[in-house]
Amino acid sequence: MKRIWHIPLLAAICWYVVASSLLLSYSPAVVFQPREEAPPPARETGGAFISGTSAGDAETLNWILAADSASFSYAGHTVDFLVTYDNEWRVQLRTAARDVEVSESGLVYTVTIRDDLVWSDGSKVTAEDYVYTLRNLMLSDWLNYPYKSDWQEEVGGEIAFITPEVVDETTFTITRQTVDPEFIYTVRNLIPYPKYIAVNYEGDIEAFTQAPEFNNLTYTGNLGPYKFGEWLRNDKFVVERNPDYYLGKDTGAPYFEQYIVKLFGTSATVHAALEAGDITYTGIDPDKVSKFKNMEGINVYTVPTTGYLFLAYNLRDNGWEGLKIREVRQALSLAVSKELIIEQVLYGFGEPAYSFIPKVSPWYVEEGVVRYGVEPLLDEEEARELLVNAGYDEPIELTLVTNAGNEQREDIGYLVKEQLSAIGIEVELKFVPWATLLRKYLMNKTPGTDEEPRYNNGPEAVSEEPWDLMVMGFNTNPLSPSGQDVFYSTSGGLNFFGYSSTQVDELLKRIKSEEALDEEARWELYTELSQLVSEEQPVDFLVFQLANVGFQDNVKGIEPGINMGYNYHLWYFE
Amino acid sequence: MRKTWLRDYILKRLFYAVIIAWGVLTITFLLVRLGPSSPADKYLTNLATRGEDPTQAIAAIEARYGLDAPLYEQYLDYMGNLLQGDWGWSFSTSMPVIELIKVHWIYSFQLILLSTILAALIGILIGIYSAVRQYSKTDYIATFFSFIGISIPNFWLGVMLILLFSVQLGLFKTYYDTSIPLLSLANLKQLILPVVTLGTGMMAGYTRYTRSAMLDNLRKDFVRTARAKGLPERTVIGKHVFRNAVLPLVTIIMFDLGSIVFGGAYLTEIIFGIPGLGRISFNAIFADDYAVVVAITLISAFLVLFINLATDVAYAYLDPRIRYD
Repeated sequence: MKRIWHIPLLAAICWYVVASSLLLSYSPAVVFQPREEAPPPARETGGAFISGTSAGDAETLNWILAADSASFSYAGHTVDFLVTYDNEWRVQLRTAARDVEVSESGLVYTVTIRDDLVWSDGSKVTAEDYVYTLRNLMLSDWLNYPYKSDWQEEVGGEIAFITPEVVDETTFTITRQTVDPEFIYTVRNLIPYPKYIAVNYEGDIEAFTQAPEFNNLTYTGNLGPYKFGEWLRNDKFVVERNPDYYLGKDTGAPYFEQYIVKLFGTSATVHAALEAGDITYTGIDPDKVSKFKNMEGINVYTVPTTGYLFLAYNLRDNGWEGLKIREVRQALSLAVSKELIIEQVLYGFGEPAYSFIPKVSPWYVEEGVVRYGVEPLLDEEEARELLVNAGYDEPIELTLVTNAGNEQREDIGYLVKEQLSAIGIEVELKFVPWATLLRKYLMNKTPGTDEEPRYNNGPEAVSEEPWDLMVMGFNTNPLSPSGQDVFYSTSGGLNFFGYSSTQVDELLKRIKSEEALDEEARWELYTELSQLVSEEQPVDFLVFQLANVGFQDNVKGIEPGINMGYNYHLWYFE
Repeated sequence: MRKTWLRDYILKRLFYAVIIAWGVLTITFLLVRLGPSSPADKYLTNLATRGEDPTQAIAAIEARYGLDAPLYEQYLDYMGNLLQGDWGWSFSTSMPVIELIKVHWIYSFQLILLSTILAALIGILIGIYSAVRQYSKTDYIATFFSFIGISIPNFWLGVMLILLFSVQLGLFKTYYDTSIPLLSLANLKQLILPVVTLGTGMMAGYTRYTRSAMLDNLRKDFVRTARAKGLPERTVIGKHVFRNAVLPLVTIIMFDLGSIVFGGAYLTEIIFGIPGLGRISFNAIFADDYAVVVAITLISAFLVLFINLATDVAYAYLDPRIRYD
């Protein structure tokens, strides 16, 4: 629970990154153009690829019910999305015959699937299966699909659903009533359920939840590189090579006979397993990287992630009132060194963050972005001056909270305390359990009301316990960073710190409007947004983390990068 | 006569056991459901990654598993199902709770049973030897190592054993491999490190208890009498002293066995990647999967009550002077 906000280290490589990145996505010039390359040479198959992880187990293979990332990751070995992306965000066709087509109006999305996809009983996968999945499962009232809102839009103040329709056996359309230029990334991420099985459980959530076909992935046919083998809870998830995989017709891919996710209880033991050669791959903690880099037989790759750490300012009424002043926030950001955090806490594996958009995003902007926390905007004198000018020339005492047990965040807390002390701010550190942090510090409600505590109950709401600063981590979708509106827009569901800016709200809204269908226009909007938040400092954006992953050196075919798992069906043992 | 009072005693204890188990069940259910966390908490990561507003998703998940109903309804529902033999559905692992327990209990059982047997055999022998040769070099060495054994954290010992015997010497796999058949020598081999890890502390404890109990009895008059009668020393130690000293040990060993279900070997399971019930139950606690937590606590409670009863009955047989009202 304690590290719940920054998943990607271990899961980043294999299918999860591919899967999660599919949700996001965009690169102005290249995304709509599928990458065309000569098919790789056929290779001999063999061996078991064992991916070690100390992250938690999946909850279900019946993925439509899942809200955790591991469940999508497990199921993703057996069923492909419509498309995926390589490390440069170029579209890689999977079950789609060609990329999703968007009408000029931006309202109609046409999807054409391959005509050689089959379910396990030999029947064809058709557009009807996709439309059924959307209409009868995802959008239904009885199933409670956790991500239903992905397929909703607000029309005239009312919530409406998209309209899916079958065109022919391999083609279907999805029609919206309002324009959202980034909706395409949701569409590209579709996976079907077999209608011929699902109809037997339709309307009965208990039966659907316990359906053996869905819980054992017995329906997946040739839709994924692997077929379900075994799942022993809290121990391992095993998939077997799928000889009928539609992408393996010419190449014989995938090349591993088995792909195993082996769960470990601690990072120490998973590291030991990699060192002993008992597993093929795992994520490596920053402090262990140099050891593994010097080890024979192990290749270590450093790859970007989409996770960033930041210092939140409590802008609600139970936080220090000075934080509501932009110049005061800037003063604090001027005093906290990002490079020191990278060097001392992340062992060098990080990059300074100036907004919520990571460097790997096609929408990353450098021009005009204010770079607080690095030279020359790392300046105690100027910070003190800003505080005095804002009327704070007396010593100030603030409280910084973070979740106990997360060493990185605790260490950042100590560094922040030390650096703010230099500008006359004394910081009291509080490390509390994760559940306490969520319930008593993040969730809020308007005093004197009976409302249910939420992460953002409006501008009047305050948390049960007062706080001023909080070290926290979020993830950004590099292709559609506007998804961060849940944190930074006034009404965002995860805007627990109470930030409110009409300018930011407006920009986020415009990025999801017809105006942004034009890529140049969207680029300008993201540029303006990046510049604005770097100036405004709704939080002190600290660092984007880099992940390290270790492979046994006999694994070939890997392309290190943000989406390095995109072609994992072509990896092989030498 | 003896049979009658014993039967009545057992029946009375069984009746109490049911009452106690119901109390344990109810308290556990309430504690899990009233705790500060929600089963949906862990979804925040994924929701945040997808730029999703958590409110709707969390409400959807809670509605699906009936967690949005009033607590008393959830409780009555659970009790009703339990009385019909339905232990519920584990939403954190997507399988029936009873199936989950059926699959995983054996991994804990084999580990705890082997550790207990090994620790008891070695610990008792060393304890007897230490007591009989009190203040000898052997006694000092045994005492020294038993204190180390008691003090050493399982967690640290397990990792050290892995680093030495698996990583450096390559004698064992770094983790427990569930694809190896349970009834095989290979399985016994891969249990060596976990058993040593778990058994070291237990063995040290048994050594200390045995030594202490033996010394207590060695000073008693009946020992002097036995020796005065000219009985061989082996008979004095084995038949008279040890038989009296073993009673408190039985209690301790039985309770160690009772920890099979809940958490007894949790750390060892974590270190060696053994998918036993300790690991299952702790993960269920963090996932707020109350059906699993309540079921395992209930079984654990029954097991402890049963073992307690068995220990008392064993006492009665081991010591004819004991009689329960």
